[in-house]
Amino acid sequence: MPVDATTAYDSPTGWRAAGRYALLVVASVVVLFPIYTTVVAALKPGNKVLVNPLVPSDFTLEVMRRAWTEGDLGAYMRNSAIVTVIVTVVAVVTSVLSAYAFAILEFPGRNVLFLVFLATMLVPLEATVVVNRRTVDALGWLNTYQGLAAPFLATAFGTFLIRQVFLQLPRDLRDAAAIDGVGHLGFLYHVAVPLVRPTIGALAALTFLSSWFQYLWPNLITTEAARYTLPAGLKFLSQARLDEPNLVMAGVLIGFLPIIVVLLIFQRQLVRGLTSGGVKG
Amino acid sequence: MTRLAAPLVACMVVAGCASGESILQAGNDPPPATTTTTPAPPVTAAPGETLPPTTPPTVATTTTTPLASLPPCPVDALDDATSPVEIVLWFGLAGETETALIALTDEYNASQDRVVVRIENQGGYKELIDKYVQSSQGSRPDVVMLPEYVVQQMADSDTVIPVGACIEASGYDTSAILDRALRAYQTSGVQWSMPFNVSNPVLYYNRAMFEAAGLDPDEPPVSLEELRAASQALVDSGAASYGIALDTGVDSGGGWYLEQWLARAGQLYADNGNGRQAPATRVLYDGPAGVALMADAQALIADGLAVNVGDNPAGRDALLKLADPAAPAAMTIATSAALSTVLVALTGGLIPGFTPDQVGVGAMPGPGETASATVGGASLYIVADQGDAQAAAAWDYIQFLLTAQSQSTWAAGTGYVPITEGALDLEPIKSLYETDPRFKVAYDQLVAGTDDLASLGPILGPQREVRTVTASAVAAIFGGADVASSLSGAAAQSTALIADYNARN
Repeated sequence: MPVDATTAYDSPTGWRAAGRYALLVVASVVVLFPIYTTVVAALKPGNKVLVNPLVPSDFTLEVMRRAWTEGDLGAYMRNSAIVTVIVTVVAVVTSVLSAYAFAILEFPGRNVLFLVFLATMLVPLEATVVVNRRTVDALGWLNTYQGLAAPFLATAFGTFLIRQVFLQLPRDLRDAAAIDGVGHLGFLYHVAVPLVRPTIGALAALTFLSSWFQYLWPNLITTEAARYTLPAGLKFLSQARLDEPNLVMAGVLIGFLPIIVVLLIFQRQLVRGLTSGGVKG
Repeated sequence: MTRLAAPLVACMVVAGCASGESILQAGNDPPPATTTTTPAPPVTAAPGETLPPTTPPTVATTTTTPLASLPPCPVDALDDATSPVEIVLWFGLAGETETALIALTDEYNASQDRVVVRIENQGGYKELIDKYVQSSQGSRPDVVMLPEYVVQQMADSDTVIPVGACIEASGYDTSAILDRALRAYQTSGVQWSMPFNVSNPVLYYNRAMFEAAGLDPDEPPVSLEELRAASQALVDSGAASYGIALDTGVDSGGGWYLEQWLARAGQLYADNGNGRQAPATRVLYDGPAGVALMADAQALIADGLAVNVGDNPAGRDALLKLADPAAPAAMTIATSAALSTVLVALTGGLIPGFTPDQVGVGAMPGPGETASATVGGASLYIVADQGDAQAAAAWDYIQFLLTAQSQSTWAAGTGYVPITEGALDLEPIKSLYETDPRFKVAYDQLVAGTDDLASLGPILGPQREVRTVTASAVAAIFGGADVASSLSGAAAQSTALIADYNARN
């Protein structure tokens, strides 16, 4: 891609492209800088962190190893993984089902109901967290996986995203399927879902990302180490010692790895899925 | 290498408490608005003017809480238990302090078969307070370790059995426990909680710089005049760029300077005996004493003898200023609980050219010639309505944590101050204090304080919010703002916060 930018210098549009790339470069530097400092700090010994913090030196994996063992990150990551997988799978299923209802089914009050649904997107997690906390407490779900996952199992955003692509499916498809005697669930499973798979993939990836590093909710409803998730583990690590300021950097890097894997797997769907709903077909 | 590594934690832990929620709301009532929109009219005197003597208003604030009206402590319930009673402690420490608490608890569990204590780390005081506030009666722990600024809120929360009730019911002899530490957690004659991890701010300084400036590294400054003179010598000689690094963090300098200095000067920070005879109704720190003290500090900065490092998150910046290669300060004030962490960090070579032996520790400089400090740190509360056997078990566990031997082990493993008489004669703290007197400074300045109400420091309902407001004023003053008007503005805001709190409770 940089090639395009350099070869296009001759034309006026080339200058525009160059400017655009320059902007992108600046934006990338801003975004990548904290990641860069994290990686650099995580890969050098503790006593070298304050000396030239931006320059990699004395490469070692020892700090990562210690963050993993001393911080007991394996246990916390296991909890995070369990909760994240539950949330991702269930949220995708509920989103597909509700999106289908709002997009394909016809029933009285559908649009009003959908608006109410969408309105919940305006309510931030922080606003409902106290009530949710009490509900989960009353259910006896403190310190449980179901308690950690429950508030995130159905989302207006997911419903909205998938409904947009369902709306673009030609009406004829459903009619043809109906004539062949295929019911709603059959149509959903055999026709609709395969057609919108990129969007579903994007939703899954987004849900995974937002769930993996959640802090506020897990922090409020877990009081036992056995159910703490990764961010809590990183917090402990950050408090642990002054003489190893980079232990937490190493922990963060470890915590990032699953996210990077998921991003690599879903990257194409993520880009295609998010844009596909926006184009009216 | 002394790997007694203790906590940076203390400074971080403290720094972790950004919360200002009223613990009071621990019931199921909807949370009320926590901020006041209309600041009360300034009740303070005009800048420089003397405050009128404070007469407590005749609101319901002068009533003392009779112990009899509070939940009783069923200390004998443990005898009736047929199987081991399991109790849960919530705490918010990390690193070496956590390790030390686990070890002590394991020792307790192994030493008897009637109680099993499970301790659960809530990830910092802020998180701990949040969770406690949100918990219903059934999901609260049996014992909870909370920082010193929540005494009034816990007293108002109706969720604790005052430790005083247990002391009375069991005939526990408190004479072995440092009186100041106990009194720190008393209001209106009720002992709400049991002090456990006690720390206070001390002076850290670079001995090599003192020598280079021709100062005696064994005689750090004690009074503010000495602090100024030493800073002048350090700057003039070129041994350091600044004499001392000050900060305005809510959980460090921004809160400490005024609270500690007023206490040491024998001046009340708040009315009603610092909120200890009855709930406070207003702060008094904008009186002449407070103005004079802050003017001294401001002059240090204005004259280039001190540098303000700002918010000082996690207590790190002030300490790191001692090792700033470009413009170092020779001294700073930080929590005593950070000492072993600092030494361990330097032993590991964190700062090239700065060895652990170069670290000097002295009492926190302040007004007058006698060093003293208020009780900081955290204390243990017994949670009510968790069952008689649980309360009795909690009391048994607390007594264990307060034995001379436990306190000796705990202090040596963490850097906290031992508060039980006789602890200093027991290993391991005995050897530690003998071989490295730097660890004993916090202890000495704690016992040096008197038991009058001014010297104990304030207890306020919205103490953490008041500290936040006060720290902002300290920041403004260090930045060059007018001392008297900054303090009276902050005092008016603080008094409004207190009035709002009192109206709700």
